[in-house]
Amino acid sequence: MGLNFLHDHNLLALAIVIAKVVFLLVLLLQIPPLMIWLERRAPALMQRRRGPNRVGLFKWRLWGLLQSLADAIKLIFKEEIAPAGAHKALFQLAPLLGVIPAFVIVAVIPFGQTITLANGMTIPLSLTQLDVGFLFILAFSSLGVYSVAVAGWASNSKYSLLGSLRASAQMISYEIPLGLSLIPIVLIYGTFDLNSIVAAQEQVWGVVKAPLSFVIFLVCMFAETNRAPFDMAEGEAELVAGFHTEYGSTKFAAFFLSEYVVMFVLSCLAATLFFGGWQIPFISHAWLLATFGTAVAALLGFGALLLKAAFFMWLYVWVRWTLPRFRYDRLMALGWKFLLPLGLFNILLTSVILGSY
Amino acid sequence: MLVAAAVGFLLNVLSRFAGPRRPSKVKYESYECGVPTDVSKSGVRENMSVKYYVTALLFILFDIETVFLFLWAKIFSQLGWFGIVEVFIFLVVLLCGYVYVLKARALEWD
Amino acid sequence: MMDSAPLVFYTLAALITFSSIMVVAARTPVISALFLVLDLFLLACVYASLNANFVAVIQVLVYAGAILVLFLFVIMMLNVPRVRSKPRIKALDGLLITMVMVAFLYMLYRVIAQYLSPLPVESAGGSNTEAVGKLLFVEHLWAFELASFLILLAMVASIVITKKRAAP
Repeated sequence: MGLNFLHDHNLLALAIVIAKVVFLLVLLLQIPPLMIWLERRAPALMQRRRGPNRVGLFKWRLWGLLQSLADAIKLIFKEEIAPAGAHKALFQLAPLLGVIPAFVIVAVIPFGQTITLANGMTIPLSLTQLDVGFLFILAFSSLGVYSVAVAGWASNSKYSLLGSLRASAQMISYEIPLGLSLIPIVLIYGTFDLNSIVAAQEQVWGVVKAPLSFVIFLVCMFAETNRAPFDMAEGEAELVAGFHTEYGSTKFAAFFLSEYVVMFVLSCLAATLFFGGWQIPFISHAWLLATFGTAVAALLGFGALLLKAAFFMWLYVWVRWTLPRFRYDRLMALGWKFLLPLGLFNILLTSVILGSY
Repeated sequence: MLVAAAVGFLLNVLSRFAGPRRPSKVKYESYECGVPTDVSKSGVRENMSVKYYVTALLFILFDIETVFLFLWAKIFSQLGWFGIVEVFIFLVVLLCGYVYVLKARALEWD
Repeated sequence: MMDSAPLVFYTLAALITFSSIMVVAARTPVISALFLVLDLFLLACVYASLNANFVAVIQVLVYAGAILVLFLFVIMMLNVPRVRSKPRIKALDGLLITMVMVAFLYMLYRVIAQYLSPLPVESAGGSNTEAVGKLLFVEHLWAFELASFLILLAMVASIVITKKRAAP
């Protein structure tokens, strides 16, 4: 995939890489509108309200599905406003700092079994294959803090600053239990590589082997993305909207984009690490390959992963409208005083159990 | 593939952020206007609790610890009980620090 | 990789030099800090281009993702104002500075050319994470255990320092 493929491979390799990038980009850009729609319709359903149901094409309303599209168009055509006293350059930079890591981390998620073409060429269904696997995701998602911190600082607004400080302190605090929760996974499978981890889960899902890890991971997943019930960074009653209070138009949209993309990646990661990734439960991949051929099997795998990820996305929404918001000191206490020792205990426990076998 | 992964992900980085970058640029120039929530123009960036600083410091330390553990986990199967004892000692020492931090009430947010 | 390695390296090196200069030259401390993040990130890219993926990721995770967050917090907390004074350089000063710089860079170039091979690239190929791990946990076992004391010391120190400051 380096620059040398121009002579030792053919242009096909480049074309495939570009195709994968474009495909993922298009896929990712569909997620925020869909999620925003879901996030408005789902509570409406739960609370016996209607939610957005008007916007449609001609006479078809499509359950208001086009509301998000209308919102997006509105946001694009809105005027950009930077508050007086804001640091202009940083104010512009902050949303970008969020979007870039969010999109980069998608690259290591394996969306399916590696396809082998008739001529022996293999196409892995992830953008890059790194031996450091999900450490890559951890590293880049840790860079997301800068977006939040810079946005709050550059806005020159008390609410923004306070929101961003809270959010960034929360993000870094939960990064530790997040990392600790993944160590048993490495202990069990002996690798960081997501493809190998998926392959090792053919018989038993990771959640069975590391249930405690999954619980910690799930909690951290919500906290890392600043989602309810850990969303006091944007507790509207006290902080207006948190770090993006002063943002409007596409920059505001960019924050949403990165938030939802990170949610999606973490959902995919949860599915990959704990729920067998692209493997369909009870159906062996070899059988699928033999029965349907490479392309259909890969497509089915991709669908399985998306379905699993969709479940976690739904969980995000579900939890948001079910649980009340945490208090900030409780949030920090949960992370530092409960999840951290629990994570360490989990590691020792897992290693002792593994060592005994 | 793996040999070129480094260059590969650089390429990806570049090609990726070309996309999302554009929408934030297709815009008028930043515009100044009164913002009702902006109470004062000076002194906004001042009040910051020392708590955040402590949190960040402790975060670094535990982050480093996590990194050590990742490395250990990776070669765990080759180390076996030797590795468990090794890390156990490591963690016990760190636990002393953790208990001290708790005793010093550095993690209280009230 | 073999052909593109020098190109990649020199591009990264140029970018690192640029962002390092910007760390010093930027007049808003927050921007300085962000350039430092960029700097460390690019350094990670260099590690990655040498196939040291684990080190690269750790570089991003610990330096760019953790330590610089602390820097940023400190800068935000201290609220360092923007450095306003722009150094005025007169023509003669400029000439002298340029001459000294040229001489310095030339000497630097000669020294580097003499003592370092043009590109000390040695990519073993494949993963070296395990090698790093074995080295740390088998050969340098006591150093690893000592590291825990170092972290312990840092924990205590951070509490002591901030307690003092928090006192009215």
